Amino acid sequence: MLNRRRFLTHSCSLGAALPTLGSGLLGLAAMREAAAQQADYKALVCILLAGGNDSYNMLVPTDTDQYQQYAGIRSDLALPISDLLPLTLSGTDGRQFGLHPGMSALQTLVSNGDASLIANVGTLLEPFDPVAVNEGRSELPVGLFSHADQIQQWQTAVSDNRTAIGWAGRIADRMQASSPSNGVSMNISLSGSNVFQSGNNSTEYSISAAGNGAVAINEYNNPDFFGTNRRTALDRILSTPANNLIEDEYRRRFRAAIDQQLIFSEAIAQAPTIATAFDTANPLAAALAQIARVASVNASLNAPRQTFFVTVGGWDHHDEVINNQARMLPIVANALADFRAILGELGLFDSVTTFTISDFARTLTSNGRGSDHGWGGHHIVMGGDVNGGQLFGEYPILSPTSSLDVGRGVYAPTTAIDNYFAELALWFGVSRGDLGDVLPNVTRFYDTSSADAPLGFLTL
Amino acid sequence: MSSNYCSSTLRRSIIVLLMIFALAGCGGGGGSATPPPVADTPPPPPVITKTQLQEAARFASQATFGVPFEALEPMARQGAEDWLTQQFALPVTRHSPTIVEILQRREAGEFDAFEEDIEYLIFARRLAWWHNTITAEDTLRQRVAFALSQIFVVSDNVDILEVYPGALGTYYDLLLTNAFGNFRDLLAAVTRSPAMGIYLSHMNNQRSNPDAGTFPDENYAREVMQLFSIGLFELNADGSRRLDGAGRAIPTYDNSDIGEFAKIFTGFSFGGEGAFFGNNDDPRFSVPMQMFDAAHEPGEKRLLNGFVVPAGQSGDADVEMAIDNLFNHPNVGPFIGRLLIQRLTTSNPSPAYMTRVSNAFADNGNGVRGDMQAVIRAILLDPEARQSAPGDTRGKVSEPVVRYVSLLRQIGVESDDGFIAALGYFLQNETRQHPLSSPSVFNFYLPDHQPAGALAQRDLFAPELSITNANTVIAWPNFLDAVLLGSFVTDPPQGFSEVRLTPDRWLAIADDPAALVDEINTLMVFGRLYPETVDAIIESITPYEEAPLRVALAIYYVAISPEVVVQQ
Repeated sequence: MLNRRRFLTHSCSLGAALPTLGSGLLGLAAMREAAAQQADYKALVCILLAGGNDSYNMLVPTDTDQYQQYAGIRSDLALPISDLLPLTLSGTDGRQFGLHPGMSALQTLVSNGDASLIANVGTLLEPFDPVAVNEGRSELPVGLFSHADQIQQWQTAVSDNRTAIGWAGRIADRMQASSPSNGVSMNISLSGSNVFQSGNNSTEYSISAAGNGAVAINEYNNPDFFGTNRRTALDRILSTPANNLIEDEYRRRFRAAIDQQLIFSEAIAQAPTIATAFDTANPLAAALAQIARVASVNASLNAPRQTFFVTVGGWDHHDEVINNQARMLPIVANALADFRAILGELGLFDSVTTFTISDFARTLTSNGRGSDHGWGGHHIVMGGDVNGGQLFGEYPILSPTSSLDVGRGVYAPTTAIDNYFAELALWFGVSRGDLGDVLPNVTRFYDTSSADAPLGFLTL
Repeated sequence: MSSNYCSSTLRRSIIVLLMIFALAGCGGGGGSATPPPVADTPPPPPVITKTQLQEAARFASQATFGVPFEALEPMARQGAEDWLTQQFALPVTRHSPTIVEILQRREAGEFDAFEEDIEYLIFARRLAWWHNTITAEDTLRQRVAFALSQIFVVSDNVDILEVYPGALGTYYDLLLTNAFGNFRDLLAAVTRSPAMGIYLSHMNNQRSNPDAGTFPDENYAREVMQLFSIGLFELNADGSRRLDGAGRAIPTYDNSDIGEFAKIFTGFSFGGEGAFFGNNDDPRFSVPMQMFDAAHEPGEKRLLNGFVVPAGQSGDADVEMAIDNLFNHPNVGPFIGRLLIQRLTTSNPSPAYMTRVSNAFADNGNGVRGDMQAVIRAILLDPEARQSAPGDTRGKVSEPVVRYVSLLRQIGVESDDGFIAALGYFLQNETRQHPLSSPSVFNFYLPDHQPAGALAQRDLFAPELSITNANTVIAWPNFLDAVLLGSFVTDPPQGFSEVRLTPDRWLAIADDPAALVDEINTLMVFGRLYPETVDAIIESITPYEEAPLRVALAIYYVAISPEVVVQQ
């Protein structure tokens, strides 16, 4: 039986005119009907704050004693306590916390039970033991404090090795076998190629936030002579397998992108117009709105599970951390609030879990203008299945003599990324038996046969 | 119109230049205006074969930002080695003078009618980059500088570097001037560059202050090691990692080394007249940063391989010792060598190729370490770069910026005022690449990017494929469609002339589709197009009888083909 791609190519080479992509030709109508019965749609949305968000200024302890410790250690980087937005969080053992003053939208999400916070998550190979570290008998992540390594490990969930295979890629390798059922990957990126969504046999489908997300090659779909002439030539040019591996990979991507665009465009054309007003000038909000549109046509894409990836760059604030966070954290918080409203409108809020990752948090001590590379950091989770309004994990007791402080106010993580991701993966539908394949080091921190949730922030 | 601008079309000037080289290369032989004595007619120059033309075109794809067809024969006659010698000797086409000229035009009110806020300040360095890179005679130097700009990354995504046109202009000139010098000088100049000082925040970085609880900024200290000199792991000359007794890679430095280097890079601020430490408001990008010893961390610093910078010397002396400490680390040759190879010839150099380039870095033959000319020669003249036999792992994805500039230089461009104006935003939006506009210090792609599938199975790297996704792989042909078949060749701002293509040579042979495609194939793909591709192009263009359309379509098809995108 012809698979979809070969069928498309074949019909093209016969010169079949495709003025508008007839559903009959693509068989999408039937497929959609079948898929529409797939009620249990779920999506993970990963927001990468690239560069290392100084999250110890995103979530700040506000008890008198702990705030004083915070202010003393952070010196010129400390936010005034009167500016912090109070949170009412459960799961804090009575400790009080405040949010960065630019994140009132997140404050609302948390108080409405739509979002929660995870404290001091980071890359680890074993639970942090300061004595073992000092004695040099501790196993530590490769390239700790280095952007390139840490940003990669947050996407691969592998900290003892360098690999380009991400944990969403590993999920896709399992869920969509050797190829996606209709040619468009279940892993969709708003920020181009990325490690998170790269599997051994699967890769991301890259779209843009603009328009319908995927552009066609000019003239390719035009029914006039100019169009069909060009289409024939392009199909022939892309038909010869290259005698060079890099060239063949390029050819394959080019060919696949043409084919996938046809499928994707027809699907997203059916997405409803979003009535919710959102800030189109906020690039993260625009990307998340596009994600919501794609999620809404998951049945047409025959994708009962999807992951989405979007990067917000520019968090490496060695300099001007105060001003830059004041500018950038509201972008994140406001975009999350817009996204929540849009998902609510589309009836998808319970099906979509959004989470943040970042290279690391930063030194609590100052370099006089900003902060340097740190380790554990705080993160945001949002979704209808999120147990909202809570703080999960352990927020360190701040002190210059903290045993977690490995120098310059760099706090070792109290929760491993493996636990954070295990919760997300289990919710997404990865079986406990497969968890170790998706997150290779998870058993160092979590008994996958346990009846307990890894962290408990999702309704599993 | 300014007298400094190119007055004739680019193609013509490149041809003339290459003819001059050819003459010099053959000791003033053929082509002289003086008739030779009848009785002593020199033997005619040997006929250049098509294969030799293709080899010249392939060399040009590695060593230049593109040459026109007419340049291939002189290059083939001259040979790669002599061509390099002549390129090394050419004066530097610096970008700052062009920026200054644009700013003078702005000051004179030429753009007032179009001016919005600070736009032309931002445009100036982009305009200078495109005009100079497209028109420069020292195209090898421009190509190497672009490669260096992807190692020593600074970016206009930092506001101050975007709006002060001198910031990135001066920085690029620094790369151009040092491209054919010594790597040590290059590393020192980058370290003292105000643009780098802003970008990696060692500008106004001060000594630790125990009372305030502040410490030196570690940013530059980390990246100068990880990205600009030695990398993360100890390397053998062949580029492989050295292993310890347990078979593990050996880190080149740890966090305490970073802390020590961070102390070294304290005390810098803007230089120039009336300079003072902590100056944030009066940027001076045209002079190196100045060291202020009062803000410099005192005491000794323990650097790599047991080297100790003694206490009590000046900050400048500290910095020089630290640069030496890095420069003399055995990793620099293989580490920097690989990055340059990846930008110029192949994503996957063999261990033998790596060793030859590392050796050239270590010793140029006269006992000099770090001679960039020796390194560039070793990269471009290596048998692995020069051999034309096909291999299934060689070559690289050509960078979008290189592809585009090469296309313009191959076809030829002109404009009414002689200035080849472009802003590059359109290209950047479609391809995610623009000079000095990387999203982070990690450049547009990582050297170890390894796509899943066949490439990963063979343990092969393909950095540029990380910006080749479903979105950009379609955007590229559509961009070319606009350049070649639309009215858009470049994206000049208002106040600058439109740029036109000058494919005169191909218009003249357009009535013969096979000959037309064959010539474009030779120039752009060194004759590598697959027979099916050639047939498809000829059949597609033949129905179009208007020569401009036929030529534009032929170029479009060749330029979008995987054969030309993957330079090998």
